[in-house]
Amino acid sequence: MTASLSLGIDIGGTFTDLVLLDPSDGRIVIWKESTTPDEPARGAMTGVARLLEKAGVAPGRVGRVVHATTLFTNALIERKGAPTGLLTTAGFADVLEIGRERKYELYDLFLEMPQPLVPRPWRREARERLAPDGTVEVPLDVDALLEEVALLVAQGVTSLAVCFLHAYANPVHERAAAAAIAARFPGLSLSLSADIAPEIREYPRTVTTVANAYVRPLAETYLDRLEAELKHAGIPGELFLMLSSGGLTHVAEAKRAPVQLLESGPAAGALAGAWFGRQAGLDRVLAFDMGGTTAKLALVDEGEPLVAWGFEAARTKRFLRGSGLPIQIATVELIEIGAGGGSIARRSELGTLHVGPESAGAQPGPVCYGRGGTEPTVTDADLALGYLNGDFFLGGAMRIDANTATDALGALAGRIALDASRAAFGVHDVVNENMAGAARVAIAERGRVPRDYALLATGGAAPVHAWQVGGKLGIGRVICPPGAGVGSTIGMLMAPARVDRVASFNQSVAAADWAGAERLLAALETEAAAIIRASGADVERRTTRRLADMRYVGQGSEITVVLPDPLSEQAVLATFEAAYRRLFGRTPPGAAAQFVALRLSLAAPMPGAGSTLRLQTHAADTALKGRRPVHFPEAEGMVETPVYDRYALAAGTQLPGPAVFEEDESTFVVGPDARISVLPDLSILAERLS
Amino acid sequence: MEHTPRSFDAVELELLWRRLISLVDEAAAALVRTSFSTLVRESYDFSCVVTDAEGQSLVQATESIPSFIGTLPETVKHFLRFFPAEALRPGDVLITNDLWLGTGHLPDITVAKPIFRHGRLVAFSASTAHAPDIGGKIRSPEPREVFEEGLQIPPMKLLRAGEPDETLVAIIRKNVRTPEQTMGDLWAQVVALDLMEERLHVLMEQAGLHDLSDLAREVQARCENAMRAAIAALPDGTYHSALQTDGLLDKPVTLRMALTIAGDRIEVDYSGTDPQVDRAINCALCYTYAMTMYGVKVCTTPTLPNNEGAWRPISVKAPEGCIVNPVFPASGGSRMLIGHYLPMLVFGCLGQVVPERVMAACGSPMWGMNQSGVNAAGKPYANMFFFNGGMGGNVHGDGISCLSWPSNVSSTPVEISEHIAPLRIHHKRLRPDSGGPGRHRGGLGQEILIESRSDTPIAVSFLAERTIFPAFGIEGGQAGAPGMLRINGEKVDPKRQYVLQRGETVLLATPGGGGHGDPGLRGPGALAADLASGHVTDPAPYGR
Repeated sequence: MTASLSLGIDIGGTFTDLVLLDPSDGRIVIWKESTTPDEPARGAMTGVARLLEKAGVAPGRVGRVVHATTLFTNALIERKGAPTGLLTTAGFADVLEIGRERKYELYDLFLEMPQPLVPRPWRREARERLAPDGTVEVPLDVDALLEEVALLVAQGVTSLAVCFLHAYANPVHERAAAAAIAARFPGLSLSLSADIAPEIREYPRTVTTVANAYVRPLAETYLDRLEAELKHAGIPGELFLMLSSGGLTHVAEAKRAPVQLLESGPAAGALAGAWFGRQAGLDRVLAFDMGGTTAKLALVDEGEPLVAWGFEAARTKRFLRGSGLPIQIATVELIEIGAGGGSIARRSELGTLHVGPESAGAQPGPVCYGRGGTEPTVTDADLALGYLNGDFFLGGAMRIDANTATDALGALAGRIALDASRAAFGVHDVVNENMAGAARVAIAERGRVPRDYALLATGGAAPVHAWQVGGKLGIGRVICPPGAGVGSTIGMLMAPARVDRVASFNQSVAAADWAGAERLLAALETEAAAIIRASGADVERRTTRRLADMRYVGQGSEITVVLPDPLSEQAVLATFEAAYRRLFGRTPPGAAAQFVALRLSLAAPMPGAGSTLRLQTHAADTALKGRRPVHFPEAEGMVETPVYDRYALAAGTQLPGPAVFEEDESTFVVGPDARISVLPDLSILAERLS
Repeated sequence: MEHTPRSFDAVELELLWRRLISLVDEAAAALVRTSFSTLVRESYDFSCVVTDAEGQSLVQATESIPSFIGTLPETVKHFLRFFPAEALRPGDVLITNDLWLGTGHLPDITVAKPIFRHGRLVAFSASTAHAPDIGGKIRSPEPREVFEEGLQIPPMKLLRAGEPDETLVAIIRKNVRTPEQTMGDLWAQVVALDLMEERLHVLMEQAGLHDLSDLAREVQARCENAMRAAIAALPDGTYHSALQTDGLLDKPVTLRMALTIAGDRIEVDYSGTDPQVDRAINCALCYTYAMTMYGVKVCTTPTLPNNEGAWRPISVKAPEGCIVNPVFPASGGSRMLIGHYLPMLVFGCLGQVVPERVMAACGSPMWGMNQSGVNAAGKPYANMFFFNGGMGGNVHGDGISCLSWPSNVSSTPVEISEHIAPLRIHHKRLRPDSGGPGRHRGGLGQEILIESRSDTPIAVSFLAERTIFPAFGIEGGQAGAPGMLRINGEKVDPKRQYVLQRGETVLLATPGGGGHGDPGLRGPGALAADLASGHVTDPAPYGR
């Protein structure tokens, strides 16, 4: 028997999700194990053993293991990384502490700024200087540098970041420093800015390089351990890691630059959205995930999640831009909103109804859980409106009480002079508007229009809210895929291998060295292809995207455009102007375009990646479980609505709205004016009729 | 037909408010991404607003800087005086950079678009943004009259029913050093106005609103009531504060404030403040108003959304001809050198009643270095780099080092600076011992050493304050280190313009923030950490 199965392991804060996929027929087996935060590999391996037992499969049949983890993000947030040093150009050791010099909140006098990952005594300077074009102005003083490093090593530093000014233009000094340091201190882990984030702007480049150095020893130990444990358990398959970009890479690359893995879990979620969208024949999808505390939105265009070339990690104020560490790494673009089932509804200081971002979490949880929660939450409203079933919450594993929910909502209504009958839907509507508003701004920032997208709902609460969020955005199609509870893990199993590389290219389009650009891109492609090949991916079927960060001369922010092939002034200009116009409506008259950086993005399918999915369904005489009153604003009140067991519905079933579809982890609610179809992969598609 | 006022319940109001916020934020995002000005792109030196038909603001973009939050709605009201409703047509866009009607200095250009529904004026979308250049003497305190500071655009129509006024465009282009960038930014502002207009129409359609008057009345009343309640909670009385600024070196400027709390109203009076000067540090009343409001808001209602209602319970007056209410033809290009002190005066007054809500003095006003010249290719250029001092300590903790306050202008990255200007920056580092000692010490200032690498001369001028009077401490805390400006190692007058030749250097050292509380009470752990980091090298002020 060949080792043909794929195993996905997604370690989250609370649960480790495990999925076993047989790519030959799409059959999957699911297991959830509690995460063991002190030693995450232990919980994962326990889960692996139990999953294989449940599936009745020998470890020897697992040909591939795909992994995502929040371990590295948590190390950043909790400041539990390695003792890390930083070497900078003389005069700039404080770049990391001075930061952007900007407040993330205008009116708060008592801000907390993110603390630098490297304390001042461990930030040392090297005598060297490059000009902005990369020419050497002051040669590197290697002897002095080694003395500084010796000092750091003596103080217990085990990982070192090197970030010199203008190293994105010429890595010569960083490389010379690394060679000398490696020769003298072979045990010291090294991260160079020219390797990790070769982009102009010293603060974000330094932060990214330092973040990499900070988590790298942890990544090395952890990944070695996990690899060994998998071997020990008799699993012959190679281990792959999920990148923030939504692609996979091999262990060596993950150990070299673990900063690429910070958002691996959420990226997998977006990837799952893209995959289910493609299965349904939709190439523009707004992937919408809503859990207990937060909602996440990701845009999927042409079947791929949009990737940004930087994000912010470890924010001191979770939902405030600017309160975290800028990380210049390709990352699936996620919009995070403080809106979830546990979000608390309150009177705002202005007497209006606010929902979130404060959350009742799991403890005490919503009022209806009966665990001591007194403030009404979104889940309480959803229950009072008939969207949730008090007798079938989490598949009947937990009973929730609609009366207490209604009482708490009534009390809130009294505090804000609201007609009590409007309270429940008010809470539901406000939280939906919060999410729709964030989506509107994000979609507009990218020059897109919401109505071109389908909304794809995963996570416990998104299927409850998706129909009406879609309505607010003018979106006509809403999909609820099967297996939403382990969507991220499914996304990983379907993921391609992927490498993203960037190189500085500061030239005007009118006087660009086109041959030089081609050489640079070719070099990036060679490097990327080597990693893809080493991952065992099918290099012959790779998709290569050549991109450029471009702007008009004088502008300070860039847009990333897909480059034409072959490169020429005319073709590049036309591409840039079209992209600019789509984003901003018009191009400035008389302005000249320039390159800032060239990017290469290479993806190739993994053997063993799934192309279909088959969930276990149960035969039932009738999928209709009963009827209950459900609130719909179109009907201005409660409507007697059929309730279906979604896994008893056969593919091809057609139904009219309104309808409610129940499964263990969630409930999909569709309003009256809808046509509903069950797709071949058991996704449910609801289309608005008017 | 008689108009029956529409009321909104707690849910409707929240939903409409959210929609309004997301539409101005959408416009702000578009403006940031299309702008040429470093100040807009990287420092968010702009604002977008929607007002009702009377120019009273409903909602303002989240990322705006404090000054424009106060000035922009006022400018829209001024537009209405020049162009009453009957003089406006759909597609018109109004423009001005008038010192007194705008923001107090010429580079800030304000545009506004009247929005019509069923033939009736219902709203304005408006925006202010700092232009890359406006001509005149490069931002420096030197100009004696506004005429030296660049092009003045009186309130007029940039677009008439959608058609650009080509004469005005030609005049602007001729008068600025960077015509493509200045006009490019102006068109980006117009795009933002269009976007707000379009979104507002959709919102009104979906909400079934014929005009905005009922909604405006409601959101403004809610903010007004919240502000009144916050003021009413403070003890009545008149509180005084005063401080001195470097002014013109040989002649410090004294600022005085009397802040009266009477029931649910605050009246701020600047009587006793020094007269206006013949240098560009005069602070026009529009800017004085904005900075005063900012100071009041952070102490009373920091989380309140910005709209007209919040300002109604507060009045600001200053004698004509004083430095915070200068009269024509005063110059004001560097008005922040006075204006950034004003929230500190508010803290001086309100600190007497709510000491836990204020902080010690900051190393602000912000510092900056402006350079202009002709590059190797013979093209004129102009750049402004900003640097910030330390924040004051407060009851909760130390002041933050190098943070923009009260403005919110981030610094330009060193690598970007060296790309766009023929300069080498030799260091940019924290200044040890610059934070005022205290139980909670002041934030540190920074020191920057810059050398010209240009074969052609570079004219430089500065924003630099607190070189004489440092940021004071409160509650027993001590002052931070004063700022310092040197050219080729020599101390120079920061209010003058200089010319740098190749190899010549400028050293800027921004002031540290003042300390909060008795330094002797500083925790031993905190002091040890400061000594280890080198942020403090001399423990003597801490009595150890």
